[in-house]
Amino acid sequence: MGLDRQLPSRKGLPMLQQGEGETTWLTTKLDFVVNWSRRNSIWPMPFGTACCAIEMMATAASKYDLARFGMERMAFSPRQADLFICAGRVPYKMAAVLRRIWDQMPQPKWCISMGACASSGGVFDVYSMVQGIDTIIPVDVYIPGCPPRPEGLMYGILMLQEKIRGEANPLTNRALHDALRAEPESKVGRANMPPGMIDELTLPFGNSTKQNRVSGLVSTGALARPIDRQP
Amino acid sequence: MAEKGFTDALEGLAAGVQPESATGAPKGPPADPALHPSVAALRTKFGDAILHNEVVAGDEHVVFILPERALEILRWLKDDPAQSYDYLADVTAVDYGGGRPLQVVYQLWSIQLKRQLRLKAELPLVALEIDSVVPLWNAANWLEREVYDMFGIQFRGHPDLRRIMMPDNYAEGHPLRKDFPLRGRFSRAEQTRRALEMEVEDYYIPTELDAAEESEREAHRESELSG
Repeated sequence: MGLDRQLPSRKGLPMLQQGEGETTWLTTKLDFVVNWSRRNSIWPMPFGTACCAIEMMATAASKYDLARFGMERMAFSPRQADLFICAGRVPYKMAAVLRRIWDQMPQPKWCISMGACASSGGVFDVYSMVQGIDTIIPVDVYIPGCPPRPEGLMYGILMLQEKIRGEANPLTNRALHDALRAEPESKVGRANMPPGMIDELTLPFGNSTKQNRVSGLVSTGALARPIDRQP
Repeated sequence: MAEKGFTDALEGLAAGVQPESATGAPKGPPADPALHPSVAALRTKFGDAILHNEVVAGDEHVVFILPERALEILRWLKDDPAQSYDYLADVTAVDYGGGRPLQVVYQLWSIQLKRQLRLKAELPLVALEIDSVVPLWNAANWLEREVYDMFGIQFRGHPDLRRIMMPDNYAEGHPLRKDFPLRGRFSRAEQTRRALEMEVEDYYIPTELDAAEESEREAHRESELSG
């Protein structure tokens, strides 16, 4: 296996040498301590674009008090943040901004997609709106609701804390760590998934299936106007 | 009864917008021009250039004018002391679909006389051009840019006619037109790819970028002075 090669020097860590890939008492405890400290001191980067942001503010305010979960410090700079909370709809004009902020956050980082619009585009199945931010950046927890109540956001954050509990550091489980945390250069500034998958995920659903790309509700004769084909 | 009306409306919706002949305005009997002093004055002053006038929503006077003479009429409404519509509340447009002409809407308000008036100029789809009113009201600058962005109407004589909401290199058309598909013309994947390739330069012209840079430098200088 390539495990030996990837590990840093093992000098001074004799207990790690118990065979390949095996976890030991020391490394599991190390994971536990690291994950415990990480999940209880998450610094969120709020990316509020709409009404969900109002609920997020309410969550951080005194009544619901997000600080109980170790999140009293909202980091308004992506470079000092661990958790990206996208609260609200994201138009395509904002997509590059969202991706760049995500790229600027240092690892380890997590993402919560708060509300129907951030998760799927919501009711805004229109020309200008991103159909779910997971087409642009990886998402850890989706919170349903329009907008979700503060309890909803807090429940999502607690779920994320549960998720962080199961993470591993490179010393104990390199494969798991890389699967969760590796960030290849080629993904910077690019979409989160291949084009085919974006098209499949963003197909019209529910009520909107009655409307095709060239809508039957409008006269299609006028579509042939040359002015529409001009860039 | 109400249920039947609802079903009829649903069926009408399914049948789609029915094309109408692209004639001028008249949709109902003309309202009495004497009800609004400006409408009466417009009728006597411009005659043929005033196509039709009506009253909607109780007391909202709408005057349909010839697009070729729109600038002249609006200039008179602004400058004539008996009218003095000095405040341009809105410039917008309406597309009723079905091949009908686009309507450019001017909403005027006279601060001095506390009187309002709405003017509409209908443009056939093959010739979407009208004179800009920026020379009269500076407020029209961004409003006309928005109308151009959303409907593709060209404003002759506008100092800076660019898209204002969609990015400059937006290639899918003009979104508020009835013949524009709800989800845009490109696939979601293509829209996402284009959106992610946007640079800040695609949204702003060099002048705006320079201004932002200058204000940033100034803020930096101030913070240095105070610090």
